[in-house]
Amino acid sequence: MLRIWRNKRAITPVLSNVLLLVIAVAGMSISITATYVITGNFRETMGERFIVEDVWFRPGVVSVYLRNTGKTSISVAGVYVDYITQSFTSLQLEPLEHGWTNLTYTGIPNTVYYIKVITSRGTQVADYYKSPA
Amino acid sequence: MRITTSRQRSFRRNRKGLSNIIVVVLSLVVLSVIVVNVVLWDYQMNQADWERTQEEFTVNSVSRVTRSSWFVTQTEFQVTEGNRVSGSYLDTQIADGSYERFRESPPPRGFDANGTFSIDTSSFPLAYVDGMEILLRYAVDDVGERWFLKAFNWTSGAYSDSGFNSTNGHAPGSGWNSYAVNLTNMWHSYVSPEGRIIIKIRDQQPDSTRTNIDIDYLAVRAIVNGAIFTFQNQGSRTAHLVSIWVNNATAHMCYETDLFVNSGETYSYTRLDIRLPDGEYIAKVISERGNTAVHIGN
Repeated sequence: MLRIWRNKRAITPVLSNVLLLVIAVAGMSISITATYVITGNFRETMGERFIVEDVWFRPGVVSVYLRNTGKTSISVAGVYVDYITQSFTSLQLEPLEHGWTNLTYTGIPNTVYYIKVITSRGTQVADYYKSPA
Repeated sequence: MRITTSRQRSFRRNRKGLSNIIVVVLSLVVLSVIVVNVVLWDYQMNQADWERTQEEFTVNSVSRVTRSSWFVTQTEFQVTEGNRVSGSYLDTQIADGSYERFRESPPPRGFDANGTFSIDTSSFPLAYVDGMEILLRYAVDDVGERWFLKAFNWTSGAYSDSGFNSTNGHAPGSGWNSYAVNLTNMWHSYVSPEGRIIIKIRDQQPDSTRTNIDIDYLAVRAIVNGAIFTFQNQGSRTAHLVSIWVNNATAHMCYETDLFVNSGETYSYTRLDIRLPDGEYIAKVISERGNTAVHIGN
C-alpha cells in the first residue's frame, strides 16, 4: 500500500491519460455539436418549401394566403409589392400549416402586381397577380 | 522475429504518429456525418420536388347540389285503419309500376297508414339541410275523395301538416298520380335529430266507397345548397387534396378537405357546406405537395 503512494511515476501516466481522455471527449462533443448546428441550419434552409395559395385584393389591404409544404417551419420575413417592401402581419407556419398575412397596401383595380414573399431563411416565392376590375 | 518485435516497440513509442491517426479518423467521422446528413436531406427534398412535378390533377366540373337522393322506407307500413291487400314495402321503393295495395276499412271506410323514413345524416348532415320534400306516387279506384300526407311532429308529439306548402290534400285522377309536398321551414319539427321522419297517408273522410289505394312510390329527400366537384388525377402519383377555394369578386372562401385521389381516378366529391356564389367564380383545389388546379364556373 505504501509503495503505491510513494510511486508517483505510476500515477502521473494515469492522470495524463485521464486528462487526455477528458480533452478528447470534450473536443468530440464540441465537434458533434458544431456538426449538428451547421447541418441543422443547412437542412432547415434546404427543407423550406411554401406556396402562395391565394392573393386577395381588398380596399387598403392585400391578403396573401400561404401554405407550408416543406419539412421545416417558416417565418415570413418580408413581403414586396413591385420590389417595394410592405408592412405585413407576422406569420409563422409549421409544416402543413397555412394562413393569411395581410399587407397594408391599396391596389389599383385591374393592375398587375409583382408580389414576392421572403422567409427568414431567405427562401422566396414571387409571381404576378392581377387585381380585380 | 527480432525485426517484428522491434517495429512493434517503435510503433508503441511513437505516440505522435498514433495521435495523428486518431485525429484524422475522428475528423473523417465528423466530415462523413456532415456529408451524409446533407446528402440524405438533399435526396429527400429532391424526391419531394420530383414527386410534386409528377402530380397532375384537374377539376373537371363544379356544380350546385340542391337535392339529396330519395330516401325510401326500410320497414313495412303500419296500417292503423284499413288493411294491406298485396305487395310489400319493397314495392314502394322504386317508381316502376310495381305497387303495394291497401284497402279502406269496412264502414266507416277510412284509411290511415304510416311509414318511417331515415335521412342519411352522415352524407346529409341536418345542419346543412334547408328543407324536406315528400313524393307520393299512387293510384286509387275511387277518385271521389282527396288524399292527405302528414308527418309526425317530434315537438308536439302528433301528426300534422302545419307548415306544409300543401295542406288541402291531393285530388287523384285515374291512373298513377304524383303528389309532392314541401315541408318548408317547418321541416325541423318533423325530422328527429337522428334523421327519422314518419309519414302518414290518410283519406279525406269516410265515404260510400271502400277504396283500394296502390302505392308505387313514397320517398323523402332533403333540400340542400351545396356543391359537387369532379376531380381527375391524371398524374402518376396519388394526389392528397387539402384545400378548396371558391373565389369571386367579393369573397375568397377557403374550405379545408382531406381527400385522396388515386392515379388515373375520377372522383366526385360533394360538400354541403360550400355554397357556390352567383355569377362567375373561380374554384381552386390545392394538394399537400403544393400543386393547384383551377376551374372557372358561373
